[in-house]
Amino acid sequence: MAIVLEANYAKKLGLPGYSSHQYSISIRTELTDLSQVEAESARLYALLQSAVDKDIQEVGFIPDNNTYGMNANGQNHHGNGFHGQVNGNDRHNGSTNGTHQAKGFGDRWNCTDGQKGFIQRIVNENKLDKGEVEHLANQLFGAGVKQLNKMQASQLIEDLLVKVGKPAPRQTRWQQRPTQQAA
Amino acid sequence: MTTLAESPLPQAEPSEQDIITGLQQTVSASRLALFLQCRLKFWFRYVLKLTKPKTPSLHLGNTVHAVLKGWNKARWLQNPLTLKQAHDAYTAAWADNTEGSVNWDPGEEEEEKTTGWRLVDTYLREHHVPAEVKPDAVEVPVEADLRRHGLPKLIGILDLVQQRKIIDYKTIASTPTPEKVAHSTEIQTSSYAILYRHNTGNTEAGIQLHHLVKLKNPRVVITSLPPISQQQETRLYRQMDAYLDGLQQPHFVPSPGMHCSSCEFFNECRRA
Ligand code: SF4
Repeated sequence: MAIVLEANYAKKLGLPGYSSHQYSISIRTELTDLSQVEAESARLYALLQSAVDKDIQEVGFIPDNNTYGMNANGQNHHGNGFHGQVNGNDRHNGSTNGTHQAKGFGDRWNCTDGQKGFIQRIVNENKLDKGEVEHLANQLFGAGVKQLNKMQASQLIEDLLVKVGKPAPRQTRWQQRPTQQAA
Repeated sequence: MTTLAESPLPQAEPSEQDIITGLQQTVSASRLALFLQCRLKFWFRYVLKLTKPKTPSLHLGNTVHAVLKGWNKARWLQNPLTLKQAHDAYTAAWADNTEGSVNWDPGEEEEEKTTGWRLVDTYLREHHVPAEVKPDAVEVPVEADLRRHGLPKLIGILDLVQQRKIIDYKTIASTPTPEKVAHSTEIQTSSYAILYRHNTGNTEAGIQLHHLVKLKNPRVVITSLPPISQQQETRLYRQMDAYLDGLQQPHFVPSPGMHCSSCEFFNECRRA
């Protein structure tokens, strides 16, 4: 009776732009006797790993964080506002080719917790209209507030502070200041 | 129930050690570069916090930056400034003394003001950043937590990011050469690249230094640099490491050299 040995090797790696990609190879081989399993498994493991490692270096398409998933007007399709309703289908980037997957946003903010809290505080303390803030984010970045990366969130914070009449002090070229400042 | 009214405790002045501890927690490119250039000057500026009157060139540079920020911001919102509006913004920024005033020599202020506007005017007229291209960021403060490398938090401000290119504005008195620019700004450019990567998850498409040269006929010199290499990133981390080590055993020694000619603490240094 033939013995079928099935080997699979998979690797998933993170990529810039909040993406990751993965690649796997499966192979089936027939053995004539059980004593071959150990040696054949070691051989296949080395073989598959080296093949995957070689191919996975080719990263192919990586979505641009700033533009991918936006329509022609630079607006986001889903309108995933930071006050918005979350639904199960609210994925920013669908898996396009089965190998590259960008993370969905759901109720998750892309910026840091500190930035999220700071934006919410500016909005609450100054009674800003959340829709307007959402609009500003869309106007500047073509994305909703929750989808902003850390740099975009920092820019939004600067603009919101200007909007509420508490602009961050003008920058002296040689005196840097920390990112987060109280409203 | 009796409530005791407590007067707020007076805020204690931070000790020198407190200040040094704070400096070990965050660092900017300019602070790092200064520490590596001359520790005594660093001590005067960041530990003792000696203040000096604003220099004319700093005032001019800040004013030019303010107008370019406004100009980039306006075109981002698809409401570009006219030259007249840019000039008005320049006049307002020039008059802004909230960060200290300059001790002008007679007639000097008008001359500098004219020089600064001619730089802005040249830059805008020559269209060095296409008006139709949307910025990714304009004068945005960013930070990168480098704790996993055992390093302080890196902070900085990106003047302009566009099509994933980091653009930094500089006003300068003489025409720079590309190789020298690449070398002399490396701490800054590497820091910006690290900040950009940490804050966007992307690699920068390159770095451009836009030098606005204060000549009789103002010039704009653009130096384009590729994304920073792994070697440059490592070098920056080593420099930050040296900064931390140096602050650990604070010997704020002077490093006399050519750079002393522009040191605002020259007199203090001679007396120290
Ligand atoms: S004069 Fe030179 S050595 Fe002295 S503090 Fe200034 S830069 Fe340092």
